[in-house]
Amino acid sequence: MLNFFTPALVLLLQEGGRIAQMKQSALNPDLSKFLVIGALLFIIGVAGVLTRRNIIVIFMSIELILNAANLNFIAFSRYLQETGSANALAGQIFTVFVIVVAAAEAAIGLGIVIALYRNKETIWVDEIDLLKW
Amino acid sequence: MTLSGYEALFFWIFALAAIFAGLLTVMARNAVHSALFLISSLVSVAALFVLARAEFIAGVQILVYVGGVMVLFLFVIMLVNVGAEERGHEEIFNNQRQVAASLIFCLLLVGGVLYAVNKGYAGLQRLHPTTADTAAQQQSARESSYATSATAASKITKDAEGVGNSLYRYASLPFEIASVLLLVAIIGSVMLARTLRQEASADDLGPEVLKVEIVNDPELANLEPQSE
Amino acid sequence: MQKYIWLVPLLPLIGAAINGLLGRKFRFSETLIGGIAVGSVALAFLISVAAVYSYGFGGHAEWPKPYVTSQDGFSFDWIPGGAVRINQGAHEGTAAEASRFALLNVEWSYQLDPLSSIFMLIVTGVGLCIFVFATGYMHGEAGYYRFFAYMGLFMFAMLVLVMGSNFLMMFVGWEGVGLCSYLLIGYYFDRQEAANASRKAFITNRIGDFGFALAIFGIIAAFGSAQYTEVFNQAKGYPIELLGHWGILSWIALGLFVGACGKSAQLPLHVWLPDAMAGPTPVSALIHAATMVTAGLYMVTRTNVIFQHSQTMLLVVALVGAATAIFAATIGITQNDIKRVLAYSTVSQLGFMFMACGVGAFVIGIFHVMTHAFFKALMFLGAGSVIHGMHHEQDMRRMGGLKKYMPYTYWTFMAGWLAICGVIPFSGFWSKDEILWNAASTTHIPLGWIVWLVGTIAATCTAFYMTRLMAMTFWGKERFLEQPAGGEADEAHAAAYTKGMAPHDATRAAAGDRPRHEPGEHVGPVHEDVAHHVATHGHGEHHGAHMPHESPPSMWVPLVALAVLATIGGLIGIGPAFRTVTGSEHPGGRLNISTWLKPIIWNPSTREFNSAEGTGHEAAPAEAAHAETAAATSETGGEAAHGTAAAYGDTGYNLAHTIEGATHSELATEWLFIIISLVVAGIGMLLGGLFYVWRPALAGVWAQRLRPLYNASYNKYWVDEFYGWAVTRRTMDAARAVFRFDSGIVDGIVNGLAWLSRQVSLVVGAIDKYIVDGLVNTVAAFIMRLMSPLFRAAQTGFTQNYALVMVLGLMIAVAIFFARDIFGR
Repeated sequence: MLNFFTPALVLLLQEGGRIAQMKQSALNPDLSKFLVIGALLFIIGVAGVLTRRNIIVIFMSIELILNAANLNFIAFSRYLQETGSANALAGQIFTVFVIVVAAAEAAIGLGIVIALYRNKETIWVDEIDLLKW
Repeated sequence: MTLSGYEALFFWIFALAAIFAGLLTVMARNAVHSALFLISSLVSVAALFVLARAEFIAGVQILVYVGGVMVLFLFVIMLVNVGAEERGHEEIFNNQRQVAASLIFCLLLVGGVLYAVNKGYAGLQRLHPTTADTAAQQQSARESSYATSATAASKITKDAEGVGNSLYRYASLPFEIASVLLLVAIIGSVMLARTLRQEASADDLGPEVLKVEIVNDPELANLEPQSE
Repeated sequence: MQKYIWLVPLLPLIGAAINGLLGRKFRFSETLIGGIAVGSVALAFLISVAAVYSYGFGGHAEWPKPYVTSQDGFSFDWIPGGAVRINQGAHEGTAAEASRFALLNVEWSYQLDPLSSIFMLIVTGVGLCIFVFATGYMHGEAGYYRFFAYMGLFMFAMLVLVMGSNFLMMFVGWEGVGLCSYLLIGYYFDRQEAANASRKAFITNRIGDFGFALAIFGIIAAFGSAQYTEVFNQAKGYPIELLGHWGILSWIALGLFVGACGKSAQLPLHVWLPDAMAGPTPVSALIHAATMVTAGLYMVTRTNVIFQHSQTMLLVVALVGAATAIFAATIGITQNDIKRVLAYSTVSQLGFMFMACGVGAFVIGIFHVMTHAFFKALMFLGAGSVIHGMHHEQDMRRMGGLKKYMPYTYWTFMAGWLAICGVIPFSGFWSKDEILWNAASTTHIPLGWIVWLVGTIAATCTAFYMTRLMAMTFWGKERFLEQPAGGEADEAHAAAYTKGMAPHDATRAAAGDRPRHEPGEHVGPVHEDVAHHVATHGHGEHHGAHMPHESPPSMWVPLVALAVLATIGGLIGIGPAFRTVTGSEHPGGRLNISTWLKPIIWNPSTREFNSAEGTGHEAAPAEAAHAETAAATSETGGEAAHGTAAAYGDTGYNLAHTIEGATHSELATEWLFIIISLVVAGIGMLLGGLFYVWRPALAGVWAQRLRPLYNASYNKYWVDEFYGWAVTRRTMDAARAVFRFDSGIVDGIVNGLAWLSRQVSLVVGAIDKYIVDGLVNTVAAFIMRLMSPLFRAAQTGFTQNYALVMVLGLMIAVAIFFARDIFGR
């Protein structure tokens, strides 16, 4: 439950009085927590894109990435509503469009996968390396 | 927007669920498992949306993303034969070097992003300082003006109303463009996923290509439309 | 009338221009061409006569002063002042020194004075006769217009030569007559012999011209002007350079004499004149007898003040003249070609003329020029008539007995024969006798008696060979009846005939003019096959076309005119020996040639022109002077020649004085010499008659007995062969050596440079190709080898690799974004 991966953790730990603060902030998650969650999701998605062989799974990892971005948008939208910005709902609007794009991209991408599968009989990405030297 | 109480609890539950599901999406052997884990991740994120007072978007996420996109994914998974993978004979991860490099990069990214978020939020705090109590007070003050739902158990938020206002007033052009985009996507996907026979019968194959393909698939000749 | 003398050269030039430029283009008829040519010369002659009359005998006669046309306006600024700066260094201490750097100013104007008037008349008068003769002689020639164009051009050049008022005009005329001589000797340009002869003439002339040019430069440098009047005025003040002293005037005289040798065919530059007989006979008559060859005499007499300042040069002139006279006379004895005999006779007579000038008797030299022009032109034209009548046969051995076939030619030729032999009262006697008398009695130079002796022997030879010519040509047996004769009667044909029926052509050296005949006459082309000729005409037969005939009137009328002149022309120079008969030393006043020419002759004792000569008494100091030096002599008359004893010092043994000492009478001495020259002429004529009329066999016998001498004479003393070996072939060798040098070394250097450039370019190219390009290629290949795998390795085709790179970029972007915060603080 603690954010181990804060690079400034070392520096923060040097200031011992921060522990209580950290507990406090853990009990009352606010914007930063949302952002952190989004960041983690994003990175997991990136790892999946880079690592998996199955092209469908790569696509799903891409969906994860887009979701993480959506989460960021929504979190900021909420935050801005509370801090009184006039255009706070822009985040949610943007999310709608992200979802639209994600859907379109998924459709096209999966069409490509199907065509690729019909021609190459494979879904393993590392077997589709024709554009090499 | 400090969450407190049950909201905090649910936040942590759904947050960890989303992360965990995402992790498993990436690490599952079976593609269908992967898809299912992704669905759960998406649903968790939708819950997080609700916690962030974006109920409309949560609904859209469930309906469109989960109900449309993920179903499409599942269809495609089924179309594509993943038998070998299921039986565990195939390697699901790339070669070692790629994986190692990816992990290193991702770890570095984690460090960087987290540091950035902390730093940024510290700045935001300085900009708009707010404590938990003041935040809760503001929230309740806001919600007091909401209408009550039919069952009188909760208030009806203004989120959908707000999204609709913004979307059709200020974002109407992007909205229309998005619809065109969807149209293009539809056409594209239909065209991309055509089979050879479908193309031949629609007279979309060039004669040289047809000649080559007829060697492989003699029935293509029957499908040839009469030239006028 | 004097002021129209500028027309005299111009008229023949216009005639020549019309004939030459338009004659062929518009196909003038022979009559028209001849008419233009003869008319222009005749007009020039008439103007000359009128001008000379008006100059010498008219109402406002200017004689004895020279008349220059620039006095009356005709003067053309030929080389205006400023063209040449000259240093009059030789004239120190005079007013001229003040203008040390004078500007040469040469004008084109004509001078009419006693000397030029004589030559004007000779050139136009004798020229007129020859032109008329030529209209008949050259009848039927294809190049009729060309002949008269060249002749007219020659007349122009000769007249410019004799009428010019300065040395540069004389030089222009000098070169012009040389050119025309070349053109006219080579008139039959398709014959090898003529081409060779014309070249020889021109080149030999050129050698002389070189000396002449140097002399002109010397004159300009010494006197600051080229104008006669100016030069001679200055020159007469110079001191006389006696024998052994050689000064500037001797140098100038030497250069002038070299030019005269070339032009007037004296030893050693005489070789061109006999060969020049390859030209048509009128050319030989006009140019090589009467006019061009006398240009040297004109020049020597014109510059007599310069020559008389240099005793050495006078001696040289006299000795060269004497040597030439005897040399050519001995050759003429053995020659068989009629024109060649006359040519050597001309050379010999020119030697006589130079003898006269050398001993100081310039007037007599000019007198002999005049009489020689008459009788030699006459004899050449007569020979031309003979040749024409004999159908272009020139070998005297095939002539004989022509007396009855060609009477006009015969009688006129006889007049010339008697004149040249020196028989009184024909013209040749007067001039030749005076020459010999002046040679014997000269006080200008030593060794006068040798000159007299040589001259007398030469006169004997002259009489001999001229009588021989008469005998072989006109008297005796008609040899042409036996020998093959006719149109092809030249040596080549004869030789081929004797060898058999071999075909022959005219490119072989031949002696004689090309035959020209009307269609219808039997004579065919010279390259006609002998067999054909014999077949058609038979061998040894004679028929009408081969008989000699008299020439048409256009040819014998000029002969008659010249014969008259040859007979009576000498009377203008009746010598002082006849003063008892005529009453004065130089009878006739101005008509006497000595009187007429006196103004241009410089007297070394009085150091003036036109000085008292033959008046009997010198100025008192001169009398006393020569009375002292002539101790062993006593003279009753005052010969101007004795007066020069003071000027030239003791000239050694003087034959005339010796005899005079014995006879104590100058008149007797003179008559003694007259008798001697008549006797030797008679001896020569008698010997000629003996050998060739009364005892023809004796000629062959004596030729055998004197075989070496005969061979030497017949082969012209092998002078041509010697020149060929010493000069011509050595020049060719030098030319070949220079050519080898040029093609080997100079061209070799140039080619070598080219070769070097090519080698350098090869090297540079190799450097560029292998080193520079190699370097570039190596570096490029190295880079390629180095980087190529790296870049290729990046193109894995594996999409996730690319995604990895994108993530890397993202990290870098984040790092940059937060760099300030991370590191900057």
